[in-house]
Amino acid sequence: MKKIIEVKNLSKSYKNLKAIDDLSFDVYEGEILGLLGPNGSGKSTTINSILNLLEFEKGTIKIFGKIMKPDAYDIKRDIGVIFQEVAVFEELTVYENIDYFCGLYVSDKLLRKSYVEDAINLVGLKEFTKFYPKQLSGGLLRRLNIACGIAHKPKLIFLDEPTVAVDPQSRNNILDGIKKLRDDGATIVYTTHYMEEVEMICDRIIILDKGKILAEGTTDELKSLAKLEEKITLEVKKISSKVVDEIKTFKTVDSVIQNGNNLVITYKKGKDNLGELTSFLHSKKVTYSKIFSERPTLNDVFLELTGKDLRD
Amino acid sequence: MTVFKTFWKVVKRYKGTIIGFTLMLVIFGSINMSSNDVTSSFKETKPDIIIVNNDNTILADGLVSYFKENANIIDVKNTERAIDDAIFYRDASYVIYIPDGYEDNILNGGNGNIEIKSSGDYTSNLAEMLLTRYIKAIKVLSKEYSDKTTLLSKVNNALDENSKVELTTKINTTELSRLSRYYNFASYTLIAVILFIICLVLSSFNKETTRKRIVVSSMDYKKHNKYILIASSLYSIFVVILYTILAFIIFGSLTFTERGLLYILNTFIFSFVALCMALFISTLVKNKEAVSGIVNVVALSQAFLCGAFIPVVWLPESVIKIAHVLPAYWYINTNDFLAELEVLSFTNLKPIWINMLILIIFAIIFIILNNIASRKKMVL
Amino acid sequence: MFIHNFKYSLKVLFRNKSLIFWTFIFPILLGTFFHMAFKDIENNETFHAFDIAVVNSPYYENNTIFKKAINEASKESDNKLFNVKVVNKKDASKMLENKEITGYLEFSNSDVNIIINDNGIYETILKFFVDEVNSNKKIIENTVNEEISKGNLDYQMVISNVMEKLNETVEFKNISRSNLSYTMIEYYTLIAMAALYGGAISMYIINKNMPNMSSVGKRNSTAPIPKSTLLLSGLLASLVVQITGLILLFIYTIFILKIDYNSNIWLIALLAVVGSLAGLSLGCIIGTILKTNENAKSGILIAVTMFLSFLSGMMGITMKYVIDKNIPILNMINPAAMITDGFYALYYYGFESRYIFNILSLIVFSLIMLLISSISLRRQKYDSI
Repeated sequence: MKKIIEVKNLSKSYKNLKAIDDLSFDVYEGEILGLLGPNGSGKSTTINSILNLLEFEKGTIKIFGKIMKPDAYDIKRDIGVIFQEVAVFEELTVYENIDYFCGLYVSDKLLRKSYVEDAINLVGLKEFTKFYPKQLSGGLLRRLNIACGIAHKPKLIFLDEPTVAVDPQSRNNILDGIKKLRDDGATIVYTTHYMEEVEMICDRIIILDKGKILAEGTTDELKSLAKLEEKITLEVKKISSKVVDEIKTFKTVDSVIQNGNNLVITYKKGKDNLGELTSFLHSKKVTYSKIFSERPTLNDVFLELTGKDLRD
Repeated sequence: MTVFKTFWKVVKRYKGTIIGFTLMLVIFGSINMSSNDVTSSFKETKPDIIIVNNDNTILADGLVSYFKENANIIDVKNTERAIDDAIFYRDASYVIYIPDGYEDNILNGGNGNIEIKSSGDYTSNLAEMLLTRYIKAIKVLSKEYSDKTTLLSKVNNALDENSKVELTTKINTTELSRLSRYYNFASYTLIAVILFIICLVLSSFNKETTRKRIVVSSMDYKKHNKYILIASSLYSIFVVILYTILAFIIFGSLTFTERGLLYILNTFIFSFVALCMALFISTLVKNKEAVSGIVNVVALSQAFLCGAFIPVVWLPESVIKIAHVLPAYWYINTNDFLAELEVLSFTNLKPIWINMLILIIFAIIFIILNNIASRKKMVL
Repeated sequence: MFIHNFKYSLKVLFRNKSLIFWTFIFPILLGTFFHMAFKDIENNETFHAFDIAVVNSPYYENNTIFKKAINEASKESDNKLFNVKVVNKKDASKMLENKEITGYLEFSNSDVNIIINDNGIYETILKFFVDEVNSNKKIIENTVNEEISKGNLDYQMVISNVMEKLNETVEFKNISRSNLSYTMIEYYTLIAMAALYGGAISMYIINKNMPNMSSVGKRNSTAPIPKSTLLLSGLLASLVVQITGLILLFIYTIFILKIDYNSNIWLIALLAVVGSLAGLSLGCIIGTILKTNENAKSGILIAVTMFLSFLSGMMGITMKYVIDKNIPILNMINPAAMITDGFYALYYYGFESRYIFNILSLIVFSLIMLLISSISLRRQKYDSI
């Protein structure tokens, strides 16, 4: 597979704080790479360093096989960036904003017109082209922000937390758009601290914490890193501690935590656990109002790796 | 107390603006505009003049020393450029060029061939009167006295007349007019500082989102309004006290004489009008960015049209008529009246009480307008 | 690309309400206030015949010299000094108290008393008038004595000769320059202020191209275009907007306020363009060398502009003169003073060296500021954004 980005030994610190610590990774053509990590883990700094917006102390960055420099305009021409903050002109309408930013890449007017219209359709802002940013809701504003970054049909797209504080409808619209961009052939680097999003759209994931890579791989590969495999939550009115103790002795059970009416049982291995449990409870005449089983999430993986939650 | 906290935050954030306006007040409000000293006897106005003497003779020197006596000689570089600048900027209002051959010309019965430059204002008229009188005298007397020194002393003697002048005013007008000027200027900074801060505080409360949050929050809306009013009033009082303390530092005990207290009372009432105006404006204007523009226009228009910057006596009639609809006019009118009133008594002060009443009416009008405007907004 | 960015920069700037308010509308409002407040000042300072009273008494009736002099001085003519009313003492003092008259004269047996209420120019002129009559009396006495001692006994003849001489008008050759209206300076400083306020426009452009100042700046920095192209086209747009603002201000001051620039329109235009350039460069330097947020930067720009305008005479023209006279170097490095002085030079002296000097200093000032800005921009690497 062709390497689109090669990052080698990247280091960057703010004053005494190490933001990125000897980071190396590659991004391959046509994939959506998720950079996952809590706030302050170095996701944005990594992107800004790759783009040469920031000075970094150490490391080399190659994009499309060439060294990235602030004036590497031939590289920049094929990159699209969507920042965390909305970066548009308050004084320009939706259409004008997209046209302005697209115009920095595409001089041909006719071509640009069709590009701008494509972008508007992609993010679903067709009815809002004459609106000013002030008149848009938060979600629509985010969509505009994305349209401004991708209108010139870049081969490589960076998205830095594009869904922060966005309503569910706009979020789905945005995520669908990103997948469509990938399907059209773009390579995408996507940072977020929402693991559900990563699970939904990313082909490959890098988990960052304190400027270091904790883990790297597909969703399934990462999940296999977690020791637990299944989590069953049981809502019971009454259960004796003797029964609980008995559950603890099951071969595959890792831990049992009683939390008010809830009983959370985690399993190291996952085969027929639910069936085994229900028949056991039946035999003990324990009645329950709710029972459900979950596969581990990336949050559990993160918890496993760092001992802390992703979002705090 | 979120209201008080927010207030304090805004005050702290914009302390630069408050300090800036206060500095302006101290600088421009306390500058001694009239160079007149404290007087109980009459003091003549001396014109500012420049003399260029190109005739090195006894009579030319005599003319120069006469003007040294009767006018202020301004020292400028001896270039035409410097002299022209001095005339334009009224550093000097009159220039006398004594030409080579002045003495000979006078002794032969001429006018001395003097050339002059004049700014055209009334002090230049006075300078010209002095010069004319001198030339006439020396022309007449030169017929009688051939000795130049005698001639000069006879001329000086003839012109050295000092008629008896009686000055009727008894109050110290100079100090009072300075104090008046200070308070007049304060009308500008007071409006600016009160409007600016209160509008910023209220616009942050009025922001659509915060507005909703407050309405649904456990805090009683009426109570909230009451707190805003209290905080705004406290802030206005604080500004008036600050200005009074500054007045005391600049003018000393004059600040707290009977007259001085009337100035303070007037300022206090005016600050109340400014407060009501601020509440009204902040109801009208939601946009924070627009606040500084509107505050500047409101404050500057009153300052220019009502006499805070330029004394009312210098303003055109038509402008004074317009100024009647602005509260600052009535405030400044009281200050000017106080500066000239000879004897204080309740009946003498009647115009002041009327002015104050008008100010209070202004405040009431702003309150009513504010109520109408905010009710309209609720419906929207 | 240059044109694309230029066109959109124009759009953005013209649609920015607060920029347009401060650079277009505010100077016009301020000019209107100036006009209303200063309209009458110079007229008030020229001499007008003033009102006096004389207390009616036999002493006055019998004082033929004074009576004649007062009649002469209150006669309708170019040299008219005052309007006079002969009234009783009570009325005179009431009129004085009500400020209807500058003062009144009261004659006694041998003397005349001047009663006034204030120190001032008209009071001084009134006293001067009385002094002059007394002086003339003295001159006549002197002359008569001298003539008699010389053996000329026809003193009636002598007196009428002297009187005639004293009443002759003496004319001096007035070589003043014309155009002495000093309030014009106020409008010139206003234009200087507006020109420097234009710095807010260029600063806006700078901020929109610096990744550490705005998110748009970040986005622009990822575009495949040299920053210099973006900045140059943006600043050109800024200059166009600034000059548009000044043109409006000129139209307003010339046609509505009737301000006299006394010069060729092209010389005024040249000064306006160079002044705008100075404003632009001021905005650039504040925008680039200060490391603070957008609001603080515009606050600083406004404060600097106001201070420079203050030094060039906006809050009292004397300030400019005092600095010109005593610390000229200060106004030579002050762009507001250069602009003001350029207009002053055109108005008062016409097109000559002083105007040219101001134009050149403005150009030098702008180039230095732009040079420093571009060096500081080039050196800027972003450690954090």
